[in-house]
Amino acid sequence: MEQIDAPVVSNVHLTGEYWLLEVEAPSVAAALEPGQFVNIRIRDSLAPFLRRPFSVYRVNPEKTRLQVAYKILGNGTRLMKETLQPGTACDLIGPLGKGFELPEDAKTIALVGRGIGIAALPMLADLAAARGVTSHAFLSARSRDNLVGAEIFASHGGQVFTHADDTPDDVALVTDHLLRMAESTAFDALYVCGSNRLIRQVDQLARARGIPAQSAMEQHMACGFGDCHGCIIEVNLDRDGDTRGYREVCHHGPVFDTWEVANA
Amino acid sequence: MPDLSITIAGIEMKNPLTVGSGTYGHHGRFSQFFPVETMGALVPKTIRPHQWPGNPPQRVLEVPAGLHSSVGIPSIPWEQFETEDAPRLKALNLPVIQSVIGRTEDEYAEVVRRCTELDAFAGLELNLSCPNLKQGGLDFGYDPEAAFRLVSRARQQTDLPLIAKLAPDYSSLVPVAQAIEAAGADAVALVNAPRAMCIDADTLKPMIGNGVGALSGPAIKPMAVYMVWTLYRAISLPIFGMGGVATYRDVIEFMAAGAAAVAFGTVSYVDPMALPRALRELEAWMVQNGIDDVTQLVGAAHDADFERPQSRRVA
Ligand SMILES: Cc1cc2nc3c(=O)[nH]c(=O)nc-3n(C[C@H](O)[C@H](O)[C@H](O)COP(=O)(O)OP(=O)(O)OC[C@H]3O[C@@H](n4cnc5c(N)ncnc54)[C@H](O)[C@@H]3O)c2cc1C
Ligand SMILES: Cc1cc2nc3c(=O)[nH]c(=O)nc-3n(C[C@H](O)[C@H](O)[C@H](O)COP(=O)(O)O)c2cc1C
Ligand code: FES
Repeated sequence: MEQIDAPVVSNVHLTGEYWLLEVEAPSVAAALEPGQFVNIRIRDSLAPFLRRPFSVYRVNPEKTRLQVAYKILGNGTRLMKETLQPGTACDLIGPLGKGFELPEDAKTIALVGRGIGIAALPMLADLAAARGVTSHAFLSARSRDNLVGAEIFASHGGQVFTHADDTPDDVALVTDHLLRMAESTAFDALYVCGSNRLIRQVDQLARARGIPAQSAMEQHMACGFGDCHGCIIEVNLDRDGDTRGYREVCHHGPVFDTWEVANA
Repeated sequence: MPDLSITIAGIEMKNPLTVGSGTYGHHGRFSQFFPVETMGALVPKTIRPHQWPGNPPQRVLEVPAGLHSSVGIPSIPWEQFETEDAPRLKALNLPVIQSVIGRTEDEYAEVVRRCTELDAFAGLELNLSCPNLKQGGLDFGYDPEAAFRLVSRARQQTDLPLIAKLAPDYSSLVPVAQAIEAAGADAVALVNAPRAMCIDADTLKPMIGNGVGALSGPAIKPMAVYMVWTLYRAISLPIFGMGGVATYRDVIEFMAAGAAAVAFGTVSYVDPMALPRALRELEAWMVQNGIDDVTQLVGAAHDADFERPQSRRVA
């Protein structure tokens, strides 16, 4: 983990409400694992004052650049869009947190994401492909143009199922697709991000099959690197959910096992 | 080369920069961005004598130029602090001032005694921002009598330099500081983050889990400078100043108001290199301005003929 001034390569509209920032960051990119995040500072700004955390969307094959797909929400993301242009540098800290674990012997995995949460998954799909693991994607969003990265998942050859709330033809939910596919496919691991409902359903499937499942979580953060104790969520400390405790998302996570966070 | 060293409450610091408890490092692990030995003294997060989970989420929220937070001082079990954190802290090559808190006078006395026995610290800081449940929940640090009793009890437990960290409350600030001085504290630290609240205009509910929280960061700096300035005139004890410090110019401001040492707090979450950068820039500024001894800055904003009060220590 380090703090760097990463030269901005590009910062362009991606799709729907999302923008894509690409920066030159060889040391961070080389160390990054899927599911980890970076914390970006809006330079010389007192409002926003805190850094803004973002999952890393993708790293280039040479591992010299990293991308962040971000949704324009408030002042911070608006300023990212306006101020981070080629020729400027982006003050970022990373890689942060604990990423996804891809079991050594995995052959087929499922990636389930909703909205912003999808942005945490393409790098995992890239890693899976590089290891010869087939990944199938199950993506949902409020509108069709906010289904971020669908083409990335498709490019690796796995199947991609989508659901957009604003599309009446999308009768089946992504979880319907997942459960149907699971009837005939032996998934070795499941990964989910972006909705508590999806986490619960993925956790149920993982328990029924006795396979690992992980979820990337979010919480408001002050530092992002473990110093402030600010970013806790309540988690299950045992698989039956009998005991609970607090865990910092920024360094125990952002990736947790789904049994830790489902219904917690 | 200007002389940046300063001795405060018998603690020799090679420069006047330190950190606000709870804002730097994690369980005795520190050098994530720069060597911890860069600073003049280290103040790790407040420890309780008993394990404590801390407050429920959401714990932090951004506000303009600052941070609204209610973390609640989560504490690991004492045994873990003793066997894991304390040896790491002891191994560091700089003075470590351990911050402590309790829920009752007895707990404060207990944690002061235990920390003293660890033989790992250059000083102890009493975090007085804890509600005194026996006195209707008013913070120890808001009540001169409670603060006097508490510091007296702590004083009996330790020969280490004892620093009392004050809750920032205008009406009780001077009487509490005077009581602390009388009870035998060696220095004061201020400000701790003032109480604050944010309410969501849609839900009409407080926005952080604990409801009530604190405010820290650049937003509170002028208030903190004023309080340091006020105590410089009201008591004889040396002052650790803090509250929104972000740059070397803020360091100079706090020192001129009367602080002998200055702590970086919330800014380290955002700009973790703020302290080492400020140290470099402070030194360059001193060279440029022909100041060869950093102690010349302490209290420089007060009239040249102003003299600090005599000690009120009774014991
Ligand atoms: C580990 C992690 C990974 C993330 N990855 C991505 C990503 O890949 N792409 C992406 O677009 N966003 C991601 N986010 C969320 C992103 O950090 C926030 O959207 C961003 O900080 C909003 O900043 P803003 O100033 O534009 O909005 P603000 O004005 O700060 O907030 C707008 C709204 O978003 C809420 N919000 C702000 N920060 C958070 C947060 N950390 N968690 C939950 N709600 C928040 C606020 O309460 C408010 O309602 C991630 C967050 C975390 C913690
Ligand atoms: C998240 C957070 C945690 C803190 N934890 C402690 C603590 O454990 N003990 C303590 O004495 N002060 C604690 N403080 C207060 C700081 O040490 C400091 O006094 C205060 O924040 C004002 O300085 P700043 O504005 O530079 O942050 C904490 C502050 C924050 C923001
Ligand atoms: S954001 Fe500070 S500890 Fe996680």
